[in-house]
Amino acid sequence: MTRAAGRALAAALIVALAAGQAMAAQGNAQNGKKVYERKCWWCHGKSGEADGPGAAFMIPPPRDFSLGVYKYKTSGAESPVPRDEDLFSIITNGMPGTSMPSWKEVLNEQERWDLVSYIKALTDMFEEGKNPPAIAIGERISSSPESIEKGKKLFVEAKCVECHGQAGRGDTMKKLKEDGGARVWPRNLWKPWTFRGGVEAENIFARISNGIPNTPMPAHAADKTGCGKLSVEDRWHVVNYVMSLADPDRQVKEGATVVPGAQVDALPKDENDPAWDEIPSAAFRLVPQIIQKERFFIPANDLIVVKVAFTADKVAFLLLVDDRTKSIVGDSTAEGLAWDELKPDAVAIQTPATVPESSEKPYFGHGDGSHPVTMMYWASGAAGQPDTSKLLTASGAGARTEGDAGAAGFASHASYHEGTWKIMMTRKLTTPNKDKETQFEIGRFIPIAFANWDGSNGEGGSKHTMTTWYWLLLKPATGSEVALYPALVFALLVGGQFAFSIIGRRKKR
Amino acid sequence: MKMLKPVLVVLTGYLLLKFGIPFIGSQLHPGTWPVVPTSVMKMYMFFLIVGTLMIYSFSEEGYAAVIQPAVNLYVDPARGTARMAVILAVGALGAYVTYQYVKPTFDAPVELRSIHPAPPSSVKACVKTYQLQGLKNPFREDKASFAKHVEEGGVVYFQNCYFCHGDRMLGKGPYYDGFNPLPANFVDVGTIAQLTESFVFWRIATGGPGLPSEGTPWVSAMPVWHELLTEEQVWKVIMFLYDYTGHSPRVTAPVHH
Repeated sequence: MTRAAGRALAAALIVALAAGQAMAAQGNAQNGKKVYERKCWWCHGKSGEADGPGAAFMIPPPRDFSLGVYKYKTSGAESPVPRDEDLFSIITNGMPGTSMPSWKEVLNEQERWDLVSYIKALTDMFEEGKNPPAIAIGERISSSPESIEKGKKLFVEAKCVECHGQAGRGDTMKKLKEDGGARVWPRNLWKPWTFRGGVEAENIFARISNGIPNTPMPAHAADKTGCGKLSVEDRWHVVNYVMSLADPDRQVKEGATVVPGAQVDALPKDENDPAWDEIPSAAFRLVPQIIQKERFFIPANDLIVVKVAFTADKVAFLLLVDDRTKSIVGDSTAEGLAWDELKPDAVAIQTPATVPESSEKPYFGHGDGSHPVTMMYWASGAAGQPDTSKLLTASGAGARTEGDAGAAGFASHASYHEGTWKIMMTRKLTTPNKDKETQFEIGRFIPIAFANWDGSNGEGGSKHTMTTWYWLLLKPATGSEVALYPALVFALLVGGQFAFSIIGRRKKR
Repeated sequence: MKMLKPVLVVLTGYLLLKFGIPFIGSQLHPGTWPVVPTSVMKMYMFFLIVGTLMIYSFSEEGYAAVIQPAVNLYVDPARGTARMAVILAVGALGAYVTYQYVKPTFDAPVELRSIHPAPPSSVKACVKTYQLQGLKNPFREDKASFAKHVEEGGVVYFQNCYFCHGDRMLGKGPYYDGFNPLPANFVDVGTIAQLTESFVFWRIATGGPGLPSEGTPWVSAMPVWHELLTEEQVWKVIMFLYDYTGHSPRVTAPVHH
């Protein structure tokens, strides 16, 4: 950027910021009240005490405006309240991974500033007409392998690992709650798109500096003595380390509906076989079962990553689920971390018992009377006992029969490491029980769906997370015609033109 | 340079198809940019090129003018390098087009689905059967308690529906992206704004599994609400939907026999 352009941009930013300040000052609490009573109270409650009709169905719970305590703020430690811009930003952009949506498509800028004024008036924590200054962020240290390495060390030294896990996937050593008592799980740093308070470096810097008020996340900004905390420079290194953890394989690709099965000479021997690294993956959103009784509203896991490999007669599925706890019933560590009664972690793969010829599929939740589904189910089990797996056929919720795992060559193998379950299930492509079990055909699109139970989150039975129907395709190896035909056409065209050219030149002579 | 004219004609035709038609469409329907589908584009371009060549090579003279530069390229001894480049380029283009035809594709099967399938004449929910024709929202008449009923409907909405259809009614609740088809957007003019209350009652009461097969009941995540809500709750939530979005239910003209 040229200096002139830089100056122009800076000027534009100052104007924009000044306009923002002006808007904050102009926010009309009376108008904000009207908007609030139409759009916001359903969760935040009529008097802002987080007791609206929707509040009981969500974790994290809606903010209680009467307390004036906000989780995400860019003001410094000396200010108990956030900046006006923080409130405006949350109303505008929403909070990913929570029930708070972005309001910018629905409310205009003035209405959003009006809301800022109104919710500030719901508590006496804010000083009239004052907007606290932004936290000092020093000079941004750009990311580099050295900085990331330093950040990684600091991540251990500052005890971030105790809650966020050795690898940063939120596999906590402690059971954590908000001040109000609500369940809170530490963020899985491999999925920055689930960060509530923004994914920009400055957002993460503010988070590390201020902590998250009202939650166990402590402030790490060094005080005047600089004792035991992180300096501005150190915090930037941690920011760079955190940002380096983002894993695109753990993000749903928009419009991706196919699990691409890869043909291999021999199946990977277990879930940790490095051969899996070569297999392409697909990631799908897990949503809570909110469709049938008993409905389930407060999931913890949000994603399943799937890989499939197959040979001429067998197929292997690898399921990866980031789960903050290894739930083994009766295990004292697991029991200590559980909310509600501890149940085993579990996953299931669902496919139609008969692959449909037309577009008509079984109902995506356990099939239906005339269209049964096959399920490959695995559960982590109880202390002192091995994990379990079952081959099931279902025709509707609750209507299940168990199949012959031996005849189908069905087996599973699973392990938990640093916040991730890896579960491998293998089966023969075809089984003797052709009416009740899916026959996997190479080159054919087969509907496939997944389910997950997080045992430490009280999930069991109908309380679980699930996906809708996607597609499994066991991709046949490409034949030689793919290279042969273009080569033939090329040879013919080039040869023909040469012939034309030679004949033409002869004639001319 | 006699080739210039036909080339310009073809180029102008291409630009008209590529940008002109979408532009006209965008003027007719603001906010859209309706491009010409690739297959149609290919067909138009084929006729355009063949037609242009025919017109410009109609006379003997014109034929020579169009063809001669190409023939010269192949026979002129002084233009060996250009000739080699053209020969290889034509070969490569042919190989590329062939590859596009023979390469395996792994696109998921297209699933068509009727958004507003024809409703049945009656709906059975639990033990009661409702005749949809002429079915009315019992709370509409009670104008005095309108605000109360709307608010009660809102409570039902935020405890049951918002998870998918969202706070903003845009069909973007916290779990919307995990389902296919996506939850309905009530603000959009294509949903409740063009439906009668009895149709909406049917869709809510029997949910996804109550759809006829053209509505792909096997994928819809809409619960069978008569199993979870009372009849009154359904009518109240319908009141709320129309009030919040500002739409009015479609009214069927009375039928005179």
